[in-house]
Amino acid sequence: MALDLRKALNTVSDVVQNRPAPLREFDQIYMKVADMVIQAEFIARTFDNKDVVFVGDGDSIGLSVMHLKAKGVIDYAPSHIVLLDFDERIVNAVNEFAEKNELEEKITAVLYNVCDPLPQENFRSHDAFYTNPPWGASNDGQSVTAFIQRGIEAIKPKGMGAVVIADDDELDWPRQVVYSTQKKFVEMGFIVCEMIPNLHKYHLDDAPELMSCSIVVRDVLGGSVPPSEPLPAKTLINFYGRDNPLKVRYVRDLSGLNRGRAADVTYKLIPLEKKL
Amino acid sequence: MSANFLKKSDLLFMKVGLHAGESLEEILVRKRREFDAAGMIFWGYGGGTCHPSKCVQPFAKVKVSEGGDVYIVMERINSRHGPTEVVATEYSEDGLVWNPIPKGIAVRGSRYAVVLDELQMGDLEIDLSQYKVAAGPSTGKVASKYISGHVDKACITENERPPEGIGAQIKKIEFYAKLKAPYAVFTR
Repeated sequence: MALDLRKALNTVSDVVQNRPAPLREFDQIYMKVADMVIQAEFIARTFDNKDVVFVGDGDSIGLSVMHLKAKGVIDYAPSHIVLLDFDERIVNAVNEFAEKNELEEKITAVLYNVCDPLPQENFRSHDAFYTNPPWGASNDGQSVTAFIQRGIEAIKPKGMGAVVIADDDELDWPRQVVYSTQKKFVEMGFIVCEMIPNLHKYHLDDAPELMSCSIVVRDVLGGSVPPSEPLPAKTLINFYGRDNPLKVRYVRDLSGLNRGRAADVTYKLIPLEKKL
Repeated sequence: MSANFLKKSDLLFMKVGLHAGESLEEILVRKRREFDAAGMIFWGYGGGTCHPSKCVQPFAKVKVSEGGDVYIVMERINSRHGPTEVVATEYSEDGLVWNPIPKGIAVRGSRYAVVLDELQMGDLEIDLSQYKVAAGPSTGKVASKYISGHVDKACITENERPPEGIGAQIKKIEFYAKLKAPYAVFTR
């Protein structure tokens, strides 16, 4: 299906306008808009008619997918998306956008931190998972593994997954993380059925050229999965990087009536009759 | 202190100049008074690089735990940072627990601050092509290629095997100081 570029960009622009400002300390680093369109179309096609769980989604790829379908930009998409995210600002923003755009039946966001066991209603109940986790630049991919573990727990036997992680030909650490991620999947009975390298760029000041890849995996063994447990304490120590532990369970939403608008404290109005 | 200490140290390289309407000379005088009053300096900074808890703290903690020191080395530049009324009243190491800014210290127009021992004057030079980025998502990049454009600071370490074919990029260092725990903080 050929995309109407203007319509696609304007549709994803609606979603971008709805997102809260990113928090760098939690690796909320937003994907650039053109790459969001590419990624959303790819995920819509890959997971067409599937029930998908998103383990974290600051980028709002899930909402982009459903909004693109609802606006007729694409004619394929998952049948339903559940987004699990520890940031209440993201959860509320997605649910309010869904309500305004009559997408409540298509996408739901729920407050959840990956350090906790997966909610029972999500355990082994979805067709596919999607995650773009903290990339593990200095923790040997431990954070990637944690998000993938929750994704695998959430899907039915023989399900699918999609992971977005760093991909850079110049640097050593992304290659190590891609290697350890693929190894982890193989150990869990999955195969990598598709990988699109160097696909996305981000609003990331300290690595503006760093790109990420999309990896699609499929469970070929359909083996059992142990019950979902809290992440072990040792996993939390370097969660956001070396010596940078996971200490926050949730980010609470204090945006009140200012969602999508400038907060009152960020500006001051100077009357016409006064000068600076 | 000779320039040799730079080769043995891990560095936080930072370009400095006019900030929040204050000239560098005014800032330096104020920061020396700050050290006399509080025994440490909060050197304010901002931007999207050298995040306190994502970059500077882990970098410094590891180096200090290995028995080393981390120095900030400052290159003077012309900047156009406008005046601000914002003076921080609190600081935090992790964004969770906030404490009053210590008496005698003032951080103006900055979201973050690096915590320093006494400021030293220097007439030193470093060649950024001989260093590599040592923390954050650009870890491993040659420092002279990384520190350009809007990137004005970085945690760097000496590159034992610098790549061939990259020309020297000499930076004149007028000021330096040793980082003190907690190395970098959030301010508000």
